[in-house]
Amino acid sequence: MREWARNHRWEVLLVGLLIATTAINIAITPVYLGVGNFINLFGLSVEKIIVAVVMAFVIINGEIDLSVASVMGFSAAVMAALYVGGDVPFVVCVAIAIAAGATAGLLQGLVVIRFGLPSLVVTLAGLIGFRGAARVLLEDTAVGDFPEWFDRLGQQPLLGPLPLAMVIFIVELTIAWIILERGSFGRKVYAIGNSAEVARFAGIGVTGVKLKIFVTSGLVAGLAGVLFAARVGSVRGDLAQFFELDIITIVLLGGVSIFGGSGSMLGVALAIFTVLNIRNGMGLTNVDGLIQTGVIGLLLIGSVLIPNLVQKARQRRSTPAIAHAPP
Amino acid sequence: MTTDASAAIARPRRFPQPDRIKEISLLGMIAFSMIVFSFFIDEYPGARFFDRLTTSVVIVAILAVGQSIVIITRNVDLSVGSIVGFTAYLTGDFLATFGSAGPIAAIGIAIVAGAVLGSINGALVAFGGVPAIIATLGTLAVFRTAMGLYAGGIDITVDRLPDWVLEFNQRSVLTIGGFDLTLIFVITIAVVAFFQWFLARVRGGRRLYAIGSNPDAASQAGLPAARLIFLAFLTSGALAGLAGFMYLTRVGTISAAAGAGLELRSVAAAVVGGVSILGGSGTVLGAFLGALLLDELRLSLIRLPAISEFWIEAALGALILVAVVLDATLRKRLNSRWAAEVRRSIGEPAPVTQGIPEGGSADA
Amino acid sequence: MDRVTDEAPLLVIEGVSKRFGATQALSDVDLTLRSGEIHALVGENGAGKSTLIKMMTGIYAADEGEMTLDGQPFAPRNAAEAQQLGVAAIYQEPSIFPDLSVAENIFIGHQDRGLLVNQQAMARDASQILATLDVHIDPRLPAAGLTVAGQQAVEIAKAISLDTRVLIMDEPTAALSAHEVDRLFRQVRQLKASGAAILFITHRLEEIFAISDRISVFRDGRHISTRVAADVTEDSLVREMVGRDPADFFARTEHHEGDPVLRVSGLGRTGVFADISFELRRGEVLGFAGLVGAGRTDVGLALFGVAPADTGSIELDGKELTISSPGDALRHGIAYLSEDRRRSGLSLPQSVTANITLATLKRYTARFGLLDAARERSDAETFRQRLGIKTPSLRTPVGQLSGGNQQKTMLAKWLNAEPRILVLDEPTRGIDVGAKADVHRFIDELARSGMGIILISSDLPEVLAMSDRVAVMREGVLRAIFRGARATQEEVMALAVGAE
Repeated sequence: MREWARNHRWEVLLVGLLIATTAINIAITPVYLGVGNFINLFGLSVEKIIVAVVMAFVIINGEIDLSVASVMGFSAAVMAALYVGGDVPFVVCVAIAIAAGATAGLLQGLVVIRFGLPSLVVTLAGLIGFRGAARVLLEDTAVGDFPEWFDRLGQQPLLGPLPLAMVIFIVELTIAWIILERGSFGRKVYAIGNSAEVARFAGIGVTGVKLKIFVTSGLVAGLAGVLFAARVGSVRGDLAQFFELDIITIVLLGGVSIFGGSGSMLGVALAIFTVLNIRNGMGLTNVDGLIQTGVIGLLLIGSVLIPNLVQKARQRRSTPAIAHAPP
Repeated sequence: MTTDASAAIARPRRFPQPDRIKEISLLGMIAFSMIVFSFFIDEYPGARFFDRLTTSVVIVAILAVGQSIVIITRNVDLSVGSIVGFTAYLTGDFLATFGSAGPIAAIGIAIVAGAVLGSINGALVAFGGVPAIIATLGTLAVFRTAMGLYAGGIDITVDRLPDWVLEFNQRSVLTIGGFDLTLIFVITIAVVAFFQWFLARVRGGRRLYAIGSNPDAASQAGLPAARLIFLAFLTSGALAGLAGFMYLTRVGTISAAAGAGLELRSVAAAVVGGVSILGGSGTVLGAFLGALLLDELRLSLIRLPAISEFWIEAALGALILVAVVLDATLRKRLNSRWAAEVRRSIGEPAPVTQGIPEGGSADA
Repeated sequence: MDRVTDEAPLLVIEGVSKRFGATQALSDVDLTLRSGEIHALVGENGAGKSTLIKMMTGIYAADEGEMTLDGQPFAPRNAAEAQQLGVAAIYQEPSIFPDLSVAENIFIGHQDRGLLVNQQAMARDASQILATLDVHIDPRLPAAGLTVAGQQAVEIAKAISLDTRVLIMDEPTAALSAHEVDRLFRQVRQLKASGAAILFITHRLEEIFAISDRISVFRDGRHISTRVAADVTEDSLVREMVGRDPADFFARTEHHEGDPVLRVSGLGRTGVFADISFELRRGEVLGFAGLVGAGRTDVGLALFGVAPADTGSIELDGKELTISSPGDALRHGIAYLSEDRRRSGLSLPQSVTANITLATLKRYTARFGLLDAARERSDAETFRQRLGIKTPSLRTPVGQLSGGNQQKTMLAKWLNAEPRILVLDEPTRGIDVGAKADVHRFIDELARSGMGIILISSDLPEVLAMSDRVAVMREGVLRAIFRGARATQEEVMALAVGAE
């Protein structure tokens, strides 16, 4: 246990943070513990956290995907445009929309792999391009009046008190957790993120793994876009705009290294709960959404800065020993 | 091996510098696209288009200059949109309170405020060891929040501002046959020219390239990397402050969301302008031309009757991708050409290549 | 007395020692460099040369002893400070700024003409310095296009522009062609004529005699001798370099060699190695001796599919194979233990178990792509006991283990793949004596169990003691294959360095 804690310092810290925020929330408002609030806690951000889970894979693998929010908008727009067209059964519209998301991910992944370009740049182009494609499809209209069953799926409880999106999130988180911590794929993701060279020497198909992750990222973003449309009941070209920064923030706050190779699903899950907890608690006490954003920004910076400063201070105290092994 | 040394010095063969090639091809792309558009759009490219382009490009152009300086050091500044919003609000509030203040004081306040915010980014990255993408993603949120707290839900509106503010945006320095050269565009050109000169000619500027090109070698050579990276972020912040002032004069109404999204547009302009995201190469002139090209395409597409204006962003995304792919290909080509030339000039046979080829297709 | 030795001492190193954990890298070393001399420093890998260089350039601090430069105490805290004091180093792989011009690369750290950079004047000065080195390239070109030789010329030009008084050259010729070496030597002599002291490190004997005024030999972190080059013979030098007694080594048992399992014929890779042919039998240890850069590692990488050969054939059990990726090689039962643990050997932040099973994940993958953790653990546990890996737990990140235990973990990873042929590239480099003995014991055991082993090692006594046969490579060509017992260290070394 002690060894686990030493190797998972960040998760331990997040647990502390989570307990602290929960305690504060309970103290501040009795509403907090209600089931309704709990659903509310997740409901408003459920699409973001669905995407964040996959983003953890992307970043652990040593890449980044800035295009997720635009792909969400793009997929939703594909669905809406097909629906307006009227010739296609709505279920097919939804399926095509999700497939469009996966295709967006595939395209970007292929460009990253084929040309060896940094994914930061490629997905920045994707961020702008797929948002543009959403605008092309919908122009400045809002498409609504989806079939009743679709709206109901987005807005009504499906399983007990949980709406579909939350069921999906719980299932997704569980599967992702298992794959990353227990699956052979997850093992490869870490190995590649640590060193693509080591992975290659171990006979792992590096490009294949990377491509699968980009496709999944697009696919899940597409799904999240559709879920968002169902929850809100209408689609516009700017659906989910700027979500990418929130999503990446959650993942990094979860202790996933921006340089790849380390991080855990536990950390990401704890970061999700912590962020939602903070937003919820502040929301219940009528703290402005803007301030919530700022607090999370501070947490993100502090999460890297404070350990750095502590380490620096420690080094200054001890004699400047050089830790290198002889060559 | 018997080449006369003085001859080699006197008549060196000129080689295409990658930065010059990029700048010229950007100019070419701007000219070419304008010619193409001129067949489809009436009165294009006339004085009105010139006026629109030069007034609309300034904000992103100035941000792209600062962004490029940061990217050249192998970092990135995602907080500039929030700095624009913050400084625009601050300056607007200042002018609403002190109606008699002139543009000089307003610009001064905007730049200083931007520099202060930029120095926070710089300190986090250079001295705190926080990766730039994390630090500026965090300050993107924090600066936005600080602005919101400061604003307290009250927007800056046009009617609270002195009259000169909105006129400032249209103030012209020189008019030649219907073409207005606006003051803000002249300021932008001056900023681009100054930093182009600084990065090309001043010691500190060259060292920014060195740091981004090979950080290990830079520290081995004893370059003050942390200090220079700090200053790069400070400069980016100061320029975002200037852009914030221009945002105020352009929009007039400043809400809590002012400037959101500009961070990625500035990165896009820099990247299209040939600034390598991996650091060490590119020029601010290129970034400026990148901003100009993106804006020119946007404004032209808006006026193109045949195509929905909604195609603009989709086209821009594709353009960025094409630009970076071309950039990577061009770089590879030029490198092998230089290598061949260097071998020729020192009389070498083809080199022995050793070790493992990078990348490779060795995946199972 | 020789003219050189009459010169006043410039840099004096006295009684310097340095220790890393269990390894004594340098013990009580003395060395004196004089103005206007080229001083060759020779010794096997691990003799302490690199550690000494890092001390002179401020990267390491000495545990004991002191250095003086011109009679003043010399204790630089970093490379930049050493450079300011006039001590600079050029490595095998020079560190240049690819995006900056050649001229800027020369002057970047010390443009002392004020704040403004006069590109024209800089290019002119750079041209002049380069011309004295007989290099005629346009200094305004970006350095990205330079070959290694060109990059070294830039570094030498930088040293000249800095008025460097002590220039350390660490195996600068390792990646150069004969032609390039000639020019480098002229450049070095130029520098010497200007009064600088040059510490020249190389493995190639002909170079040592061609260029140096004095020669110092290091062995096992100790200073063995310093003599005027004219008094040194190839024989005496080789004897001093090797020196150790193979009898200190693990006494390997008699192997029962079986049928040939691997037959390599005419294997080549353009510009790297050519026409390599050999046979490996079951239960045999085939050693590969030679200098760093002789192409041994490249042959290993070709067998493993990392950098496939472009000519020749590889036959396994009489069947010809195409190996174009490590995945291919592993499927055919060929494994390769990398010489570079950090870069290509171990995933340091991952656990010991994860590393041991990394190359064989398929075996542990049960239904739904899930890993059989219990089986992973039990296999890892087996290897921990069998190889004696000392670790707090199997979940510990392998980066936290000592070098020797990391090396054993890496070995476990490849043994777990149950290869029929195992290529070991420098399996005992940088690990302590105990771990080294363990590794030797395993090599012996594995051979006895019928595995074919290729042992690439720069440690001569090791390769001779462990191998049934020893292949010697020099400059990409296989020069000879000795029966292990018949070869002497002197014979192998002479062949490896190209002494007649």
